This record gives sequence, C-alpha cells and structure tokens, in this order.
Amino acid sequence: MTAVVETEGLTKFYGTRRGLEDLTLEIRPGEVFGYLGPNGAGKTTTIRLLLDVIRPTSGRATVLGADTRDPRVRARIGYLPGELALEGRERARNYLQFLADVRGGVSRGRIDELAERLDADLSVRMGELSKGNKQKVGLIQAFMHEPELLILDEPTSGLDPLVQQEFLAMVREARTAGHTILMSSHVLAEVEHVADRVGIVRAGRLVAVEDIAALRERAVRHVELHFDAPVPKESFEGLPGVRDVVVQGASLRCTIDGRPDALIKAAARYTVVHMVSAEPDLEEIFLTYYSEEEGRHAHAGA
Amino acid sequence: MPTLVRKTLVEYRRALIGWTVGLCAFLTMYISIYASMMNDPETFSKQAIAKYPGAFRDLMGGMSDIATGRGYLQAVAYQLLGPLLFTMCAAILGNRAIAGPEEARTLELTLTLPIDRRRLLLERWAALALGLLAVALVTLAVATGAASAAHMDVPFGSILAAHTGLFLLVLFFGTLTLCVGAAFGRKQVALAVVGVWGVAGYIVETMGRSIDAISWLRWLSPVHYYLDGRPLYQGWPYGDYLVLLGATAVLLMTALLAFERRDVGV
Repeated sequence: MTAVVETEGLTKFYGTRRGLEDLTLEIRPGEVFGYLGPNGAGKTTTIRLLLDVIRPTSGRATVLGADTRDPRVRARIGYLPGELALEGRERARNYLQFLADVRGGVSRGRIDELAERLDADLSVRMGELSKGNKQKVGLIQAFMHEPELLILDEPTSGLDPLVQQEFLAMVREARTAGHTILMSSHVLAEVEHVADRVGIVRAGRLVAVEDIAALRERAVRHVELHFDAPVPKESFEGLPGVRDVVVQGASLRCTIDGRPDALIKAAARYTVVHMVSAEPDLEEIFLTYYSEEEGRHAHAGA
Repeated sequence: MPTLVRKTLVEYRRALIGWTVGLCAFLTMYISIYASMMNDPETFSKQAIAKYPGAFRDLMGGMSDIATGRGYLQAVAYQLLGPLLFTMCAAILGNRAIAGPEEARTLELTLTLPIDRRRLLLERWAALALGLLAVALVTLAVATGAASAAHMDVPFGSILAAHTGLFLLVLFFGTLTLCVGAAFGRKQVALAVVGVWGVAGYIVETMGRSIDAISWLRWLSPVHYYLDGRPLYQGWPYGDYLVLLGATAVLLMTALLAFERRDVGV
C-alpha cells in the first residue's frame, strides 16, 4: 500500500518568514484526511507545495507516487484553491469545459449532473458569479474528472448549509469510489463527519495526527442525569474519568473523559428518570492540543 | 491549435479588436490629412520646417522631407505615434499573459492543470505573437490603402518593410512585458521596465544621432534597430530585424527559465 501523498521534511520559508517547517506526513489511499489549523498556520502552503505552485525550501514530496514536479500527475488530482478567483466575461460552463479538455476530458453529462446537485447556474459570466456560486464552480471543476486525489482548501467556505450537506455527500461518494481526499479547514466541526484522520498544523508545524475514531474515544462529553429524588454528591465524586460534578437537588451535571462506564454504574443505584448526553465535542480536544503546544512554547521561551 | 493558445486568443479577442480599430482609425485619419496638406504646400515648406527647434526635429526623425509621401508617412505613422500606440497594445496584452492572471489569482488554477510551466508560458506567448500579428496585418492593409488613397506614392514593398519592423518592435516589447511579468509576477514592474526602456531608447536613438556622448547607447535601444535602417526608404534592414528577433528569443528564453523556478502567487 503506497501512500497517496508522502512528504518528508517538507519546509518552506518565504524569505525569513516560516511558511511550513519539517512536515513529514503520509496520506493513505482511500482515506479522507482533514488538515486543520488556524488561518496562516501553513495549510495553504502545504497544499500549494503539493501542487507545485510554490517550490519547497527543502524536503521532498510525492503525490500519487510521482514527484510533484511532474505535470502529468496533476491530471489525476482535483484541486479547489482556498481563495478561488474566477474572472472575466467567459461563461462558467465554457471555462469548465476548457479545464476538462486540458485534463483529458470528463464523461458526458458529468458537469451538468454536478451543477444540478449543487444548484449552480453555469450560464453566468465568471466575473459576475456570487461568492457562493464561485465556490460551486470550484467544486465542480475539482470533482468533475473523478480524480484519484482531491485536494480541497477550505471547501465549505461560502456555501450555505444545504449545499454543504451535498458537498459532504460528494466527498463520501468519492471515498466509496476508492479516491483519496485531503481537505483543509480551520474548524474541526467542518470535517469531523467525513474525515478518517485529522492532522493539526500550527505556526508552520504539524502538531498532531489523530484518528477521528480515537479522538472520539478521548472526547470530552457533557452528561446530565435527572433522578426521581435528590442524590448525594459524594456518590459521584472520585469516579474514574468523571469530573466537574455539580449536583442540584435531583439533577446532576458532569463532564466525562472517554468511557461513561463508571458514571452509569454509579447512577444505577438510583432511579434515573432522564438522561442527556451531548455529542462529544471534538473541538475541545482539538483546542487542548493547541493549549498544550502553546504551554510548551511558553515554557521554552521562559 | 493548442487549447491554451486558443483560449488565450479568446481572452484577448476584445482587446485585440479594440486596439485594431483604434490603430486603424489613427492611421486613416493621419494619413488622409496628407492630401489636404499637399493642397497647401506652405505648411511643410523647408522654411516652415526650419522654424522648429533642431532637437524637436531630431525627435520627430528629422522631418527634412515631410512634404513627400515617404517623409510624411514616416513622420506621422512609423516614427513615433504608430510604434508608441502599438507598443502600448503589446505591453497591455503581454501583461495579461502571466502577471495579470497572477495578480488576479486566476493563474493558480491554471498552473495546477497537467501542463508544464514551459508549455504554459510558450502557448501564452504564441497567442500574444499571433494576436499582435493579426493587428499588424490589418493595420498594414489599412495603412497601404490609406496611403494609396492619399496619393502618397509609396510602393507596397516599402510599407511592408517598415510595417514588418513595427511588428518586430512591438513583439519585442510585448515579449519584454511578458518576460518581466513572468519573472516578478507584477504588472506595474513590467510596465515600468517597458516604459523606461522604450522611452529612453527612443530618445537615445533620435537625439543620439547628434549628441556623441550618448551615441553609443543607441546600440542598447530596441528602437535603434527599428528606425536606423530607414526601411520606408531603403527597404529591408535584415541585420537590424534579426537583432530584434534574436533579442525577442533571448527574452523568451529568460522568461521560460525565470518562470520555471518561481513561486507563483506569493
């Protein structure tokens, strides 16, 4: 199993400003990889390096088994730029047809099918497209040739929620077809429902690569239990993985890390009338990586 | 025709039509005045011309025989205004090859197509050259027609020789714009280089004839290789034209090398 994207010590400096430093990353065939980080962390730099728009200061990268300098490999990649610019009097449909021709053609009706799914009007001149429609045209051109690798830089920006759902469906279909997807975002919530793994990049460095499933396992979960009678707080204190316990009469609120087992067993001694468990907040974990990293930096600086 | 050449020509279409119309209007208007001037010989008599300062006459290419068809055609069309307008057209189109799309950020997606950068640049240049050639051919036809309608009595061969020089000159400046744009990705830088080299080159070439101190600089002026051979009078200055072509080729090579190794859009 060869990696679809493989980088080794990939580094990019813009003059003295660090864009990306020492990135070693492997993206496996058929996975959806979420590439996360705040704006300016190095996500776009990484993506541009993979597409040979900019050249690395040092290190190397291969995409689909070929050096990034090989133009032929780009016919097998679908790319959505983070700041997609479409200009001029040309109609969107003609532009898409041009891109399709250069990439070696797309199957008949594919462009219309995608336009219909995303509800995009392709008869508009490119300079007159709204931000949302530009993004749709960008998505169509990225998906239309059914590429083996999709590289999507902030794909959901500017899309309304309905179109976002359709987009996520397209991503899942591409994965089902065995294609690989690298998508960047500055919020985990945007990718957590489709991504298999996430990489977190911060200030030009890859801080962590995590399985979404593992992340969920470690996720912080807020739980609320309601009993038929007031319960003593002591029964719930000191339970493994349970913290921030607040008891108010017959109701209890707490936070659990990982498995809820101990809490359930403790609650079973009383009569539970109602239970609320919020979706695990992956964002919170995500942020702890950041704060840990920050702490380390602060420490090193002191 | 390669896809990218065709696509670029479509992008250039409106600008090409506009510039062709403008240049043709300029040529027809200025050349047609010749007939009325001839009815009033006093305007361009030797005495009248002698009233202009020498430096001005130098700048306008001498003006010694402006009362003849050749002299008039050279002075109004091929000396200053014609090359100036046509060079502006070439510089604007040359900027739209790389620097313009790069500043507008539309170049990024084009670069990620399965086309290598050399081919991208070459096809963009080919479209530029073809577009300028089309403008040159139409304006040649119009200049020839207008000259004959005004009874200028200049043979087609001479006009063709001069017009070819004009085309080679603007191709040089267009390629220069494209080259600077490909190397730096900035339209303003490219326009500044073309403007400074073009204007300084013109002044050096025309004034340099009578000022020895700057005379040697004429060799560095592209305009020198366009004007010095006096093609309207003496026919094809092959050597000069080859220099222009060779310089264009060098610029194109430079553009290829510079663009090949550059970070785009940062």
